[in-house]
Amino acid sequence: MAKLKVALYWAASCGGCEIAQLAIGEKILKLAEAADIVFWPVAIDVKYKDVEAMPDKSIDACLFNGAIRNSEQEHMAKMLREKSKVMIAFGSCAYEGCIPGLANMFNRQLIFERAYITTESTDNKDKVLPQTSYQAPEGELTLPEFYDTVKSLRQTVDVDYVVPGCPPEERTTWLALEALIQGKLPPKGTVITHNAKAVCDDCPRKRDVKKVKKFYRTFEIVPDPEICLLEQGLLCAGIATRGGCGAPCPQANMPCTGCYGPVEGVVDQGAHFLSAVASVIDSNDPEEIQRIVDDIHDPVGTFYRYSLPDSLLRRARIK
Amino acid sequence: MLKKLLSQLGIEDERVRLEWVSASEGDRFAAIVDEMTEQVRKLGPFPRNGGGNG
Repeated sequence: MAKLKVALYWAASCGGCEIAQLAIGEKILKLAEAADIVFWPVAIDVKYKDVEAMPDKSIDACLFNGAIRNSEQEHMAKMLREKSKVMIAFGSCAYEGCIPGLANMFNRQLIFERAYITTESTDNKDKVLPQTSYQAPEGELTLPEFYDTVKSLRQTVDVDYVVPGCPPEERTTWLALEALIQGKLPPKGTVITHNAKAVCDDCPRKRDVKKVKKFYRTFEIVPDPEICLLEQGLLCAGIATRGGCGAPCPQANMPCTGCYGPVEGVVDQGAHFLSAVASVIDSNDPEEIQRIVDDIHDPVGTFYRYSLPDSLLRRARIK
Repeated sequence: MLKKLLSQLGIEDERVRLEWVSASEGDRFAAIVDEMTEQVRKLGPFPRNGGGNG
């Protein structure tokens, strides 16, 4: 059998997805047996023009991580889509926007002002901001255009599969790679995990009362190791998050923050999580309820930590 | 909490109203719907995607 051709690319991301790809350990040798890696900026020196020269659909699968927030990333997403038979959104950024997507609380102007002018450590008296084109004595220098709104890969090009997670757990990465190597990929559109139910389904903690009088931030309490974290007043997103990760965070006494995205059939993960949190509040008194929810300091950052660009609202309105 | 979240996202307070109306309070229900409709009409349409590109 001819070897597969696989490309890996990164856009607006942190590098954690590359670490996650290497976290499969010696299984990477099985990947190398079955596939030639034709493009992988983090590890091999293949230029954009080399990818451009590849015939359409000549790459069997592209694992694309990162969100789309500038013109270079959009261009590469579209080019790799044309060159690849199968496009896999690898990790939460490509799937739903993730942490870079929280920039949708702002716009380009506000982000540039903060990053290049008002940051305490910045010395930029002339208020120089990045330009897409600059005439230097040696010739024109260019930078990609920075967009107001961060989009997921799925909002930019047609995506065949999703590997969720920030970053994907090793078992999830291998589940997808094994299916690819064996030619046993599931139906188009599948979010590839071991469990389409909620993280709670993987979590060994006990649930019983579901009554909360006060919400805590993680540094405020040491939770009981056996009882459901949400019932202890920690904002655990497990109930609104796709499982398959094996629930490593709750087992380490940390609440789930929601990185595997919504459970099967749910469109808006944040709304689902908010509704679940509202249902555990133990009070019928509007003033007491107000006091309890006032402990949730940043609702958008809590409920939509990974999914703001992919949510129904997609971004904040800037007046 | 929902209102706090929506205000973070730039959605005006006047666009969201929570009322508990019994099935026997038909007149009150109609009055609230009329008020809300008028209020939202004054605000005008909410821009798609928060007015951002794409």
